[in-house]
Amino acid sequence: MLSGLANPRQAAVQLMNFGLILSTAFMMWKGLSVITDSPSPIVVVLSGSMEPAFQRGDLLFLWNRNVVAETSVGEVVVYNVKGKDIPIVHRIVRKFGKGPEAKLLTKGDNNVSDDTELYASGQDYLVRKDIIGSVFAYIPFVGYVTILLSEHPWLKTVMLGLMGLVVVLQRE
Amino acid sequence: MYTTVVRLQNVFGFFTTVAFVVAAFIAASDFVTERAPVVRTLKTTSVQVVRGRPHYYSSKKEEYAVINFSLDADLSSLFTWNTKQVFVYVTAEWPAADHAKTNATNEAVIWDSIITSPSADHLANIGPVAMKKLLKSAGGKSIDPSRGKLVLKNQRHKYKITHPSGKLATTENVTLRLHYNVQPWVGLLTWNQDVDYGYWKALKNGVSKRFKLPAIKEKKPASAGAR
Repeated sequence: MLSGLANPRQAAVQLMNFGLILSTAFMMWKGLSVITDSPSPIVVVLSGSMEPAFQRGDLLFLWNRNVVAETSVGEVVVYNVKGKDIPIVHRIVRKFGKGPEAKLLTKGDNNVSDDTELYASGQDYLVRKDIIGSVFAYIPFVGYVTILLSEHPWLKTVMLGLMGLVVVLQRE
Repeated sequence: MYTTVVRLQNVFGFFTTVAFVVAAFIAASDFVTERAPVVRTLKTTSVQVVRGRPHYYSSKKEEYAVINFSLDADLSSLFTWNTKQVFVYVTAEWPAADHAKTNATNEAVIWDSIITSPSADHLANIGPVAMKKLLKSAGGKSIDPSRGKLVLKNQRHKYKITHPSGKLATTENVTLRLHYNVQPWVGLLTWNQDVDYGYWKALKNGVSKRFKLPAIKEKKPASAGAR
C-alpha cells in the first residue's frame, strides 16, 4: 500500500501528473472565460426566480460579447449587484438609450415585481458593464451536484474521503 | 486493469459521453424543424398617461404609460418535442429624445406570458387544482396546436412603463412589437428573428402602427362629479 511512497521518483511523477490535470482544467476554464469575455462563463442556477424556464441545478452557458447586436430587452442575463458577490439570473425588461451607458432594468420571470429593490441603494438601473454574460444555451439538471455540495458541506468531506480511499486502494 | 473501480469508471465515462452526444443531437434537431410564427393583428385599444409614484414611500412623482392592446397571433409552430416553454412578450418602443444624433431607442415590456409545453406543464406556476386539470387534459398526448394560438382582445397591460427622466406624456412614434423566446429542454435559447434562417421563418407583421402617447389624464376637480 505504501510502495508508492517508498519510491520517491514515482511519487514525484504521480504528483506532477496530478498537477498537470489540475492546471489543464484551470487553463480550459480561463480560456473559456477569455473567449466569452465573461468572468464566469458557465453558471449553475441557484434560485427559482426564473421558473418554469430554469430550475435549480440547471447549467447555463454565457456569452458576453456584443458582436452582432447590443444586449436588448428579452435577453436573459447574469449580473452582480454592485458591492455584493451574488450573481443573479434574470431577464431584461426595459432598455433606455443605446451603447454602454444605456439603462437596463431586469426582472425574474417568476417574480411579481422588477429588480429595483435588489439593486444597490440609489441605483435604479443597470448598465452594460454590470452584466457578466447573456444566456445563450442551457443544459438541465447537470449542475445540481454543485448545489448539493455547497448546501451540505459534509458531502465535500465524504467525496474527498472516497476519492482518497480509491487512490490509496488502487496502488495494490 | 479489471478492478471494480476501473469498470465503474469506464461505465460512468461511457454514460457521460453518450448523454452528451444525445443532448447534442436533441439540440441540433431544433435547427431542422420548421418555425412559421404568424401575427394577424397587433394594435392598441387604450392608451393613457397617468401620474404615479415608483414606490409607496418615494416623494417623486413620475409619468406612467398605461397601454392595453389586442393581439391575434399563431405561435404553435414553435412548440416541438424540445420546447420547454415559450416566453411571449409585447414591448412598447419609441425613439429617444436625441434619436436624430444617436439613433437610440427606448424599449419597455408592457405584457408578458409564459406558455409551457405539455412536457413542462408540471413545472408551471399554477395552483394544485389547475395543475391536476392541466396534466390530465394535456399529458401523454401530442402538443395541442391551440397552445401557441394567442387571441387577446383588449388585453390589460401587466406593467405600467416609465422613462428614467420621469416624463412620458405626448411622446410620438411609439410602436408595439411582439417578441418570443423559445426555451428548449436542452440547447440554444432562441428569440424571434427579423430574417429567415433556413427552416425558421421571420416573424412578419409583429409591429403595430405608430401611435402617440396622450397628455396626462387630468383628474376632474372635486366639484364636477360627486361620488
